[in-house]
This record gives sequence, C-alpha cells and structure tokens, in this order.
Amino acid sequence: MALRVEIVSPEVALWSGLATALVARSSAGAFTILDHHTPVVGDIVPGLVKVQTPEGEIDFAVHGGYFQVGPGDEPGVTLATVLAGVAERTDEIDVARAQAAKDAAEAQLAGIARGDAHETGAQLVFEQALARAELRLALGGVKSTKLS
Amino acid sequence: MAGGQERVLRRRIKSVQATRKITKAMELIAASQIPKSQARIVANRPYRDGMRRVIVEAALGDPAGAAKLLAVPERVDTCVVVVIAGDRGLSGAYNSSTLRATERLIRSLRAQGTQVRLFTVGKKAPSYFRFRGVEVEESFVGFADRPTFADARLVAAKVVAPYVDGEAQQVMLVSTRFASSSSQFVDTTQLLPLTVPEMPVVEASATLKGYTEFEPEVEQLLAYLAPRALESEIFSALLEGAAAFHTSQQRAMAAATDNADELGQTLTRVMNRARQDSITTEIMEIVSGAEALRSGK
Repeated sequence: MALRVEIVSPEVALWSGLATALVARSSAGAFTILDHHTPVVGDIVPGLVKVQTPEGEIDFAVHGGYFQVGPGDEPGVTLATVLAGVAERTDEIDVARAQAAKDAAEAQLAGIARGDAHETGAQLVFEQALARAELRLALGGVKSTKLS
Repeated sequence: MAGGQERVLRRRIKSVQATRKITKAMELIAASQIPKSQARIVANRPYRDGMRRVIVEAALGDPAGAAKLLAVPERVDTCVVVVIAGDRGLSGAYNSSTLRATERLIRSLRAQGTQVRLFTVGKKAPSYFRFRGVEVEESFVGFADRPTFADARLVAAKVVAPYVDGEAQQVMLVSTRFASSSSQFVDTTQLLPLTVPEMPVVEASATLKGYTEFEPEVEQLLAYLAPRALESEIFSALLEGAAAFHTSQQRAMAAATDNADELGQTLTRVMNRARQDSITTEIMEIVSGAEALRSGK
C-alpha cells in the first residue's frame, strides 16, 4: 500500500513518486492527503503545496489548479494528482526574476490606473502576473532564508 | 548550337543543386524538431489525462450539472469550428488535408442549416478559406510550430466566448492527431458541449459512482473545470499538430531532396551527352576541313 503523488502542469510533468503525505489548501480550507484517502476531487488555491516523502519534504509553488485522489492504475496504490496551470518547485524559483516581474507588473498596473491606453483584459493579465510574482517571492524567499 | 545547350543544362543542374541544398537543410531542421515536439506531447500527457479523469469524476458526481454542460442540444443553430493548421507550407499534405477536412465539415454543417463561425490557427488557413469565400472570424498565427499553454488559453478564451454567450450551441475542433511518428491522421472532435472521453473500464466502474467527495461543491467545481478542460484539450491538439507538422515536413523535404538528386543525375547525363556530341561535331569539322584542304592541293 502506498501513496503516489503526481504534480503536473500542461507543459511539464513536474514530479511523480511515492510519498507519505500531500499537504495543500483548497477553497474549502487546508487539507492533507494520506494513503487510503477516500476519492476526492477539488480545487487548489494559489500557494504552497507540500509533498512529504520518506526522504524529506518537497515544496511546490502552485499558482492555482485542481487535485484528484483515487485508486491509480497500479493495484493498491492511492494516486493523488495535482493539476496546476503553472507550478514550480520552490527551490527552483528565481527570486531576482520574480522581483523584476513584480516590478514590471506593478508598473503596468500603475499605467492602467493613470489611464494609459491598453488592450481590454490587460488589467487582468497584469494582475495575474503580479499575483504569480508575489507568490514566487513569498515562497522562494522563505526557502532561501531557511537555508542560510 | 550544341555548346549553347550545354551551357543551359549546366545552369539547370546548378539550380537543382541549390534547391537540393535548401530542401536538405529543411529536412534536417524538421527532423531535429520532431523529438522535441514529441517530448512535449509526452510531458503534457499526464496533465491531459488527469484533467480528463477529473472531468469524468465531476460529471459522474453531478449528473444534472453535467447534463447541462455535456449534453448535445436538440438544435444547433450556430457552430463554432476551430481548425489547427501550420504556419508554414512545404510540409506535404499536412495543411491541405486538415483544411480540406474542415471545408467538408463546414459544408455538411451548412447543409443542415447550421451557421458556421470559423476560427483558425496557423498562417496557411486564412488564405485557403478566403480563396474559397469562407469567412474567417479570427485567425491565430505565429505559434503553430511551438505552441505554449498561454497560446492555448488565448485560443480557448476566444472560441468559448460565443458558446458562453449563447450565440453558439456547439464547438468543433479539426486537427491532426499524432499517434506515432509513422501515423498521423486528421480528426474532428467536439469540444463543447464537453465530451467525456472514453475511460478504462476499471477506473470508471470500480472507483467512482457516488464515492467521490468534492470540495468545493461539485456544481461549482464543474463550472470552473469546464474551461480548464477545454484549454487542456486545445493545448494537446496544438502540441500534436506541431509534432505532425514537423514529421510531415521532414518527410516531404526528404522526398524533395531525393527528387532533386534524381533530376540532377538525369540532367548531368543529358549534359554529358550534349558535350560529347559537340566535341564529336567539332572533330568532324576539323577532320573534314583538313581533308578538304589536302584534296584541294
């Protein structure tokens, strides 16, 4: 009996392996998935997704998505899949790049607030970019301070 | 004049060889893109499959809501047709077979009295339809070779709008499926109402059916999930289309290179014969000239 966790995004299958627990937060609140968890489908709000393995914990920044738990193809293995639009390992976050992206998005939003000409929907795009950058900074920053 | 013919042939051989260099280069470039585009399909597969599983579970968990999203309406007044073609030509039948299938679909829809709103991906599509007098509502170009998920979201947002607004009752997708490097085929699928893809029997029967919990409530979840599922399906189709394009181009350019080789060989033979003829003629002239001088003595 085991729990297999898959963290996948459309462009890349980020991580797959046996784990002891999956910790994340849905719109209904924080949750932990262990082996033998009952089948469940739900959403994941942007934030930290932790995968606990016997070798240690792996952290992912997930910018919103869905998760599904159910019996997988392998007999006796519970499969937990995290479907993320955008996701990355927190230790792979480029903090400098996220800061630059945040500054750029803020500048664009300030421009929209001033009434500069923009395409319709631009505000939403930049708000989403800002949210992603802020999450990366929050999670990427935490990790690097812990290490030092 | 025989010497003139030789010069003409020499020029043709040169031009055939220049063309061969180009087709060979294109063949190699396309060949180098095939493994990359295949790797992207493989990387996308867990997400696509996961998304399909989630949709199946949500649909089973909320049959009433699913009926609204998934059922085919009794009457389709307007149908959105999305076609995925390539940005570039010189790729064998890749573009033409996709576009012809689309044209057939449009014709059969119109025969049923259905209005068609056409969206296209790839530079080759708009000119094809403009020439045939079919109006293209919006065309997306520039990413058919190497689509990103952001591109797929853009396309999904545009094609789903008429459906959400109630202006269209159906969304169809025509694209090339990449089954393997030796097998690609044009496929027409229904994007909306969402079609629940066929699931392995074990998964569908043994696990689901009322056991699955949902958070938040399944009705809400399904409404959020439907656009994501659409994006996922379009992205998969874009990736497979790109891989099929590169494969098709590699094959077409390999054939073109072979043809150029053959043509060059034939021309060289003709040229050698022409040169030999002119040499023979020249010798004959010299010999007969000398003969004439000697007999004239």
